[in-house]
Amino acid sequence: MSSTGAPATGTPPTEVVATGRAPTPGRRLRLVMPRSTTSLNIIGLLVAIVVLYVVLSATARGFASEANQLGLLRDASLVGVVAAGMTLVIVAGEIDVSIGPAVAFASVVVAKAMTTWGMPTIVAIGVTILAGAAWGAVVGVLRARARVPSFIGTLGLWNILGGLALYTTNALPVPFSPDDPIMTTLSGRLLGLPTPAWVMLASFLAFGFIARKTAYGRSVYAVGGNASAARLAGIRVDRTRVLIFVTTGALSAVSGVLLAARLGSGNGGAASGLEFDIIAAVVIGGTAMAGGRGSLVGTFLGVIFITLIGNGLVLLGVNSFIQDVVSGAIIVVAVLINVTMSRRRAVAGTSSD
Amino acid sequence: MQATNGASREVIAETRSVTKQYPGVLALDGIDFVVRSGEVRALLGANGAGKSTLIRMLAGVEHPDSGQVMLQGHELGDGGVRGAARHGVATVFQELSLIPGLSVAENLFLGRWPRTASGIDYRTMNTESRRVLGSLGIDIEPSREVAALTLAEQQIVEIARAVREDPRLLILDEPTSALAAAEVSLVLTTVRAIAATGVGVIFVSHRMDEIRTVADTITVMRDGRVVADFASGAAETDAVVRAMLGDRERTSLVERRSGGERGAVRLEVEDVAVLPKVVSVSFAVHAGEVVGLAGLLGSGRTELLRAIAGHDRLHAGTVTVDGTRTGRPRPATMRRLGVGLTPENRKRDGVIVEMGVDENIVMADYGAVSSWGVLSRAEISRRTAALRDRLQIKVADLSASIGNLSGGNQQKAVIGRWLYAGSTVLLLDEPTRGVDVEAKAQIYRLMRAVADEGAAVIFVSSEIEELPLACDRVLVLREGRIADEFTAPDIDLTKLLAATMAASV
Repeated sequence: MSSTGAPATGTPPTEVVATGRAPTPGRRLRLVMPRSTTSLNIIGLLVAIVVLYVVLSATARGFASEANQLGLLRDASLVGVVAAGMTLVIVAGEIDVSIGPAVAFASVVVAKAMTTWGMPTIVAIGVTILAGAAWGAVVGVLRARARVPSFIGTLGLWNILGGLALYTTNALPVPFSPDDPIMTTLSGRLLGLPTPAWVMLASFLAFGFIARKTAYGRSVYAVGGNASAARLAGIRVDRTRVLIFVTTGALSAVSGVLLAARLGSGNGGAASGLEFDIIAAVVIGGTAMAGGRGSLVGTFLGVIFITLIGNGLVLLGVNSFIQDVVSGAIIVVAVLINVTMSRRRAVAGTSSD
Repeated sequence: MQATNGASREVIAETRSVTKQYPGVLALDGIDFVVRSGEVRALLGANGAGKSTLIRMLAGVEHPDSGQVMLQGHELGDGGVRGAARHGVATVFQELSLIPGLSVAENLFLGRWPRTASGIDYRTMNTESRRVLGSLGIDIEPSREVAALTLAEQQIVEIARAVREDPRLLILDEPTSALAAAEVSLVLTTVRAIAATGVGVIFVSHRMDEIRTVADTITVMRDGRVVADFASGAAETDAVVRAMLGDRERTSLVERRSGGERGAVRLEVEDVAVLPKVVSVSFAVHAGEVVGLAGLLGSGRTELLRAIAGHDRLHAGTVTVDGTRTGRPRPATMRRLGVGLTPENRKRDGVIVEMGVDENIVMADYGAVSSWGVLSRAEISRRTAALRDRLQIKVADLSASIGNLSGGNQQKAVIGRWLYAGSTVLLLDEPTRGVDVEAKAQIYRLMRAVADEGAAVIFVSSEIEELPLACDRVLVLREGRIADEFTAPDIDLTKLLAATMAASV
């Protein structure tokens, strides 16, 4: 991403490709899924992103400006940090719809911890992330042990956290000192890029590695592919299911901290609807809702794709209500194309074998 | 040996010299078969004898290559399933097809619910259901949810659904195989009640005691032919078994047994109950032994193995592995003790098709190919390549999806999972099902080789003629207990089969 901020060239598309961390998807993704489907999906998304860049550069005033590109990155980070973890949730055949309120509540928690509770910033952040991991663990245990479907468990969490976030703040922002050095860093730039972009990058690198190279990551794929077979093969299915929700809980908290830093306060009503952008990004990235398949590279491109569309619609001056209509339609079409292509692939694959 | 009783009754279904060829197999070889009104005809035969194909012919699912299927005097021809149904054929297949969340009545009328102007006509539906169930002498409230019924009751609802269409010929494919021995009588009573109304019934089963109770006549098939007909009362189990087996005793696949030299006891099972099917089972398996577990479909073999591996709860008894005894086996514990289970249904419980062959193997123990949770690609390749060579898994690229492999190669990979994990007690549930002859022989050799290295192997197979080929001992599971035991070289196939089928030979 680093060069997308470079104003001189004005041709960011290729840079996006270069920093997509998938120079040779075929080879590196072998562990993840059949090469052809993955690379097809990724190439399709890359093409779509390039086209969007070209079209928007030509039609949307200010799109290619440095300020807009950096803003794009910030927006992408809000979706991307959690989307990386959400990929594993969906690969495991589960879903987490609690993200929006979780992010908002986390922003409130960190703000309160810094002000009302008088904690040093770094401790406040740590406490917030631990809290996120804890509420994630609760849903995880409900899913794994009590067999409460994750949609229901996280829907409950969505309500609870959303309610708590507004109740504890009376729906008012909880401001903290604008001079706090850590928060200033988190809202500012690091080596020329917005700090959240680095966090997103770290999140994708970490989960890309976890997904492909670690026993835990492979267990997630095994559980999502065939939970019964995974259990008989000795994989700890329950533990895996708890951990994925701990992950999204903690990542929501991280996002909440970044959001608080950006806004200068905790906001109980922030990030509304974020969960659906995240799920859409993951699915557009080629992860199967049924579980067992998916890649972090795909999700990353899905995040970029979805952010570009949102940004483009704003710059093009589309009516804000119609923006929702258009982006909704685009998301459905993108997934439709994705699913159709992989089915074709699958059919062609079986007949040629 | 032609059955005589009822010979004067009306013929309901008949096949005349029906032949069916599948690629590589002559499934039916000139079958002449007659079912008369009011007759319960038991159909027996080993796996692959052609029972299923014959049933599918009569139900119109398959079309004969030559010969005729006559239903109530009409030739079925190209009538298909609908044509067969029109001529009064109703079939109940092995798997239950009820929808558990709906009521009994809703299931009986599934897809053809009577309506009134304001919606579904529950009153008519319940009244009619009560009538159908009543005519079978069964008292099940039609408004009850199917999920709340016992398995036997569900099976009866399934049969009642077929009966509601007023069939002339009712085909029941192993209707009792899912039931524990104690639940069977309800189903048998129902079948008799149906036959009493003049319906002809084909009853596929292998439990001799239940066949004697319910059937008038017995037809035995072997290699696509009808080899014997008996009147049920006159049939000695021994004679039936001999008809089923023919001269199958001799075969070229015979494996050398290790011959008497047994190591220490590796696995000991004491008074184990997994209700309702497994009542009380005790046995021991020594290092170096391949022990066969014989038993009819539904005798509780799978339940027993799953419980030993810690996947189902023991209702009583203990399992001891290498001296460590437990009454509550848990999967992680049993795996650590060296127990590895390969499931009966490879596709549903065995393989993860989204993943490569290599990953399907190493998932049994990630620890051996990782440090600090990070997997070593090189180590995975090395270990799985070694296993591929040992098990002769035919695949060039080990990271290719396991779904592309043939059944036999998939099975070898699933077994390989436990060899990789260093298991010393292997529980193989139907490892040879749906596997070609070559792979079967490889699996026999593999079991022997693993046993020779000191493992204890339990081998479950529905193809009973395999057991004498591969096993040092065979235990017979019947009515929830070990009913019999045979030790090589005295594993007589006839006696073995008889022991699985009958309460007494």
